[in-house]
Amino acid sequence: MSNHLEGSRNSCALHGALQLFEAIEGVIPVIHSTSGCGVQHYLGVTRLSGGNDPFSSPPVSSSNIAEKHVVFGGGSRLREQLKNTVKVVQGDLYAIVTGCSTEMVGDDIPAMAREGREQEWPVVYANTPGFSGDVHHGYHLALKALIEQLPGIWKRKGEFQTRLVNVWGIIPNQDPFWRGNLQELGRLLEGIGLVPNLLLGSEQGIAAWTQIPEAALNLVLSHWGKLPAGLLEQRYGTPSIILEGAPVGSAAVPLLRRLTEQLKLDQIRSEEFITREESLLNHQFARLADSYYRAGFQREFVLVGESAQVTGIGEFLGKSFGLLPRMLIITDNPPDNVQEALADRLSSIVSGYDTEVIFSEDRAEITDIIKTSDVQLILASSLEREVAVELDVPFLALSFPLDDRIVLDRGYAGYRGATALLEDIGSSILAFSNDRLFC
Amino acid sequence: MSEKIGKHIAIYGKGGIGKSTTTSNISAALAESGYRVIQIGCDPKSDSTTILRGGNDLPTVLDTLREQSKVRIEDISAVGFGGVLCIEAGGPVPGVGCAGRGINAAVELLQELKIFEEFKPDFVLYDVLGDVVCGGFAVPIRDGLADRAFVVTSSDFMAIFAANNLFKAVNKYAPSGGARLGGVIANSILAAYAPALIDDFAAKTGTQVIGYVPRSLVVAQSELYGKTVIESVPQSEQAQVYRKLAKYIDENEDSVIPKPLNSPELKKWAREWGDRIFEVETGVVHEMASI
Ligand SMILES: Nc1ncnc2c1ncn2[C@@H]1O[C@H](COP(=O)(O)OP(=O)(O)OP(=O)(O)O)[C@@H](O)[C@H]1O
Ligand code: SF4
Ligand SMILES: [Mg+2]
Repeated sequence: MSNHLEGSRNSCALHGALQLFEAIEGVIPVIHSTSGCGVQHYLGVTRLSGGNDPFSSPPVSSSNIAEKHVVFGGGSRLREQLKNTVKVVQGDLYAIVTGCSTEMVGDDIPAMAREGREQEWPVVYANTPGFSGDVHHGYHLALKALIEQLPGIWKRKGEFQTRLVNVWGIIPNQDPFWRGNLQELGRLLEGIGLVPNLLLGSEQGIAAWTQIPEAALNLVLSHWGKLPAGLLEQRYGTPSIILEGAPVGSAAVPLLRRLTEQLKLDQIRSEEFITREESLLNHQFARLADSYYRAGFQREFVLVGESAQVTGIGEFLGKSFGLLPRMLIITDNPPDNVQEALADRLSSIVSGYDTEVIFSEDRAEITDIIKTSDVQLILASSLEREVAVELDVPFLALSFPLDDRIVLDRGYAGYRGATALLEDIGSSILAFSNDRLFC
Repeated sequence: MSEKIGKHIAIYGKGGIGKSTTTSNISAALAESGYRVIQIGCDPKSDSTTILRGGNDLPTVLDTLREQSKVRIEDISAVGFGGVLCIEAGGPVPGVGCAGRGINAAVELLQELKIFEEFKPDFVLYDVLGDVVCGGFAVPIRDGLADRAFVVTSSDFMAIFAANNLFKAVNKYAPSGGARLGGVIANSILAAYAPALIDDFAAKTGTQVIGYVPRSLVVAQSELYGKTVIESVPQSEQAQVYRKLAKYIDENEDSVIPKPLNSPELKKWAREWGDRIFEVETGVVHEMASI
């Protein structure tokens, strides 16, 4: 049965869809719902994701429906809002997203989008009431809308590009480091001669989205990226490589080799690239060694975050950095079969050492688990800062929600992400030990 | 809610069963005997009070609310036969919007306008759309708005099923301050077995029939003139039947929390009656023939 849930970090479907649309340049979302939905998206999501965006992107357009639109239907209000938005905000694509109230009433959203298109406005729509699911479901709904509706708006010649790779599964803001992570993955793909189609972030606009069908491969970096990859495989026969999280550090090696083989890339070039990246990372490890031993970096830690983050970061810290993953707490609520596979894979990252893998999105439960765990380092969201203070252990916030860090293009994926992790975790351990030393 | 002014009564029943006709005639009869009456149609069709008003147009509460921000009582009400204050909540056109929320909004507005304080009614009758299709249509019986609900039914099984559904709603809300069931009004009585069938259903669900309204041409004729039977043929037997109903509602405060039948019970009950009726109609004679 259902039970009480406190401080969930998974917002509603509408917000998930908004995250995606807002992360594509030139896409103007139009919310068809009550005014609180847009406000809540800012207060509860974007603002808590590393202090990004709202002021640098146009404010979100919203139909702000009132009671009379509930009673008589809000279709005409949406029509008016769409018209005004097109007039005021220049965009390459207008994306209608709906909230709970308008979906309860049953406003005919496809008809409104169709009307817009008849005016030659590029309009897509996604029915995204919060009650239909959480932020991940919303990410799916928005992706589905784009994959299914864009080809009806822009017809492309669609010549197959043997080097083009679509990247899926990093959810903007739900992963506060999404920009940096995507950039680094792009760099790795370019390093072995591929053309990354990152789809989200700076310089990623409609042009990127319309060339999706031409790609040679879909690279999936979380459970949540499987859906778009599946849709594209059905529609265009594009094959996929599926990972449960973006690789961090040397975990990139098998991926780069697999890509090289599967897409018949220049093997020598790839190996040279891998060698360069590996030796740079090893060099960083060597430089870090003094502090590592002096401050006792090798600690038992707990890591709280989405499955993709926990997998990538957890394995890197355990396998390459010598930390001991006491507990991995996964908060994005993946389906049962994925949970089983993750539990299996993550419970023995360090051989001979048992890692507890826990699935929970309940702040109270997560706090209680950490409290009784004896860990010496907490890597989690800002929601866990309190328990870190209480336990008096070093703490680094790196998963959503994040209210005490500015994240511009920092990332924790790939080789640069590995270095960033060493810096950030090392810094918090040092700062913590120094505080204890000097006060 | 503040101190309630007047007795508030909600009339439910399957679509087309005769709710508006019956309610209007009861209103007319109450008005005739000197009471101040408000009849509120809670139905997007907004035809509840037509025969109290000679068929004239009346802007609905929700239409008015949509068009103007400030609404006055005069804008949304008309005085009909015998001084009955007629109000139509109104609602969206079929297929869009949410009529249930509309009922909510209309009732809220009436409360804001202090219509009961102003008019000081002895009776307020709510004529509510068909079956209880969603929470919105349960508003009159849910929020302590009406004290009693009556259900209009014929001997048709579909009408009985709708009545049973209403009983479920009453059963759900009554314990927390919602309306209780005043009884069943049997309408369009024609077949000889009809009263017995409705009586039996009432007994099975722990309630009672408060009146039997025969199917009568007078009703249809009066309707064509935009009038209640009370107004157009006051001396008729049919008018007398409606007066008796009004008198019952006026003088009797009895109410119960009904015990609706569950789905298998209802099916079984209907099947048994179906067999009996079939036997009567086809002339099989045995001890049940007396129904
Ligand atoms: N006792 C009766 N004898 C003859 N005709 C009747 C009787 N009761 C109702 N009718 C007729 O049945 C029709 C439907 O009645 P009415 O409009 O009152 O039903 P209703 O339950 O309010 O319907 P709705 O659910 O559509 O609002 C009307 O034409 C009315 O004149
Ligand atoms: S849950 Fe519903 S009402 Fe709340 S913000 Fe999301 S869409 Fe809006
Ligand atoms: Mg009616």
